[in-house]
Amino acid sequence: MAVAYVKKRDGSLEELGRTEVIMNCLDPAWIEKINVAYQFEMVQLLVFHVYDVDTRYHNLPVKIVTRQSWSLTIKLHNKNGHASLRNLGTITVHAEETIASRNAVEIKFRCSHLDNKDLFSKSDPFLRISRIVESGGSVPICKTEVVNNNLNPIWKPLTLTMQQFGSKDNPLIIECFDFNSSGNHVLIGKLQKSVVDLEKLHKEKMGVNFILPPSRHRAHEKVLKGQLFVDGFSEKKLYSFLDYISSGFELNFMAAVDFTASNGNPRSRDSLHYIDPTGRLNAYQQAIMEVGEVIQFYDSDRRFPAWGFGGRTYDGSVSHCFNLNGSASGFEVEGIEGIMAAYASALHNVALAGPTLFGQVINTAAEIAGRALSCNNSKYFVLLIITDGVLTDLQETKDALVRASDLPLSVLIVGVGGADFQQMEILDADNGQRLESSTGRIATRDIVQFVPMREVHGGQISIVQALLEELPGQFLMYMRSRDIKPLDANAAPLVPPDQGHPYPIDKSSEYRISHEA
Amino acid sequence: MATTSRALEVTVISGEGLRLDRRRPVKKNAFAVVRTNSRISRTTKTDIDGGSYPTWNEKIVVDFPSQARFLTVEVHCKTYSGEKIVGTARIPATDFAGGYFPDNYLHFLSYRLREDGKGERNGIINLSVRVKVPENRVSATMCSGGAVPWMGGPLAVEGCSSGVVTGVPVWHRYKY
Repeated sequence: MAVAYVKKRDGSLEELGRTEVIMNCLDPAWIEKINVAYQFEMVQLLVFHVYDVDTRYHNLPVKIVTRQSWSLTIKLHNKNGHASLRNLGTITVHAEETIASRNAVEIKFRCSHLDNKDLFSKSDPFLRISRIVESGGSVPICKTEVVNNNLNPIWKPLTLTMQQFGSKDNPLIIECFDFNSSGNHVLIGKLQKSVVDLEKLHKEKMGVNFILPPSRHRAHEKVLKGQLFVDGFSEKKLYSFLDYISSGFELNFMAAVDFTASNGNPRSRDSLHYIDPTGRLNAYQQAIMEVGEVIQFYDSDRRFPAWGFGGRTYDGSVSHCFNLNGSASGFEVEGIEGIMAAYASALHNVALAGPTLFGQVINTAAEIAGRALSCNNSKYFVLLIITDGVLTDLQETKDALVRASDLPLSVLIVGVGGADFQQMEILDADNGQRLESSTGRIATRDIVQFVPMREVHGGQISIVQALLEELPGQFLMYMRSRDIKPLDANAAPLVPPDQGHPYPIDKSSEYRISHEA
Repeated sequence: MATTSRALEVTVISGEGLRLDRRRPVKKNAFAVVRTNSRISRTTKTDIDGGSYPTWNEKIVVDFPSQARFLTVEVHCKTYSGEKIVGTARIPATDFAGGYFPDNYLHFLSYRLREDGKGERNGIINLSVRVKVPENRVSATMCSGGAVPWMGGPLAVEGCSSGVVTGVPVWHRYKY
């Protein structure tokens, strides 16, 4: 029998599942499958123990690397981790993505007889769908567009992936709001239905009434005249992130380190750049290690461009994009260890200066991503910027990001130290507006993810998880909008090329929903 | 080669947040006009009920003269009192032609619309632009990672002065 465990951060093993017992066999092929939730943002170490009735053998931790063949064969080691003199055999692990995660549903919603919440005109309704989480609260998963001045609105079809709604039986909260440009949207009504319920509504062509929850003026909930209809319901299959990766798509990792004087003299213990002789990693090293550790598996040649910015290099001038390895010609280093080594040596050779400017680094990364497009479109680039301070060139950075927003590139920014990073949150358009450049161009998509390091310290999630969570989504958004399919896909496209704007105009990025009591 | 024009495939996708007279949102009947210079222009169909978030998804092919530096997109609205211009966006040619992008790259672009008079912001226009490269030009690239530098075909790039500069991209052996 084989038992699969996941090795947690503290080294303990947590059982994921076990196969059935096959008696009296030296080449067992088990039938039982074990389900593991794939999380892009973490390196998940799996340990397999093979048990015999009497004795035990196990192997070393196996890292899940998505390989072309989806299979991995490893030699079994004995308890101490050494290969024993006797050949203990091998275990072959075959992984495949469960089909369910490729499922998505496309739903066409319509409402009738909505209440009027506007004074001089009619309500401007939109729907927001949320998923109920274990803790009891709800997490919004998507929104429709706004229909102006209409109490019987028809919205464009909405696509919900299985990743978003979990399972078809999960209860979803559907709220209808009246849009106000001030951001204080007024709740018209809400109801709770699962995807299965919505499918039934579509089949039976029935409507369901909205409800107003109890408030200060009313102790019980009120059933409204307004109704929700499901005019269209169809299931689709979308290629998943792993479909692309296993077919040969790659993530190319690039790093940029802040060498401005605000970090403090590297020789001083208080400096953010202090290299501790005991081996404890400083904030910069930690960020590089943790992010690089995950992404390196998706980068085939492990050659990473690495730059510094804001430092005074050997020729005396301040550079906002110098090669971290100190070389005049090449900006690449080999492996994560190469980045760490280049960083450490750069601290000796480069004097901290300033100001904090991202523009040049982003432009350089964008050029690399743009040039790669001529070769093939199966590379996606990830730029990690680690900085301690507030930007001096917010507009120039916005310009660079807007120009890069139509490229296969994501920019992850980690803020270290204690500065006020409010300005950085503007760049990460999660709850703000689309970035606008000085020439009037607007970002095609949100390619930035910003996380201040201190926010995640001591929390349950690591900084890596917070940063990387959005990455598969950004990758998929780019690929799907251009109808780029996994490399070996020769079947008909699973999703017909989008007719509408490829990056769904998620006006939610311009909303700030006020939470109704 | 320097004075030929290129065919541009412009798909006017949608508009966002369009308003009339700075306050009232556009209720209906918005359409877009794509101009390369004052004489050449093409118009999309009218979106009857899209309101201030109209959707057109209409592909328009225009001839883009090589001296032209901007592609202009105007959003108009048919009202009871006649046709009004909601806003205009001027798209610099450098945003979709030239630079390090490969030929035939599908650019998804979005721009702020500004009212002609006071230049006030009025919504956003979303579109896609692709420069159609004729068959006889060398445009396909084979990046085998070999040591041979690849010579690209001549690309007419607008210069800052009124003249025309022809750029010839030369490919280095990039590892990507």
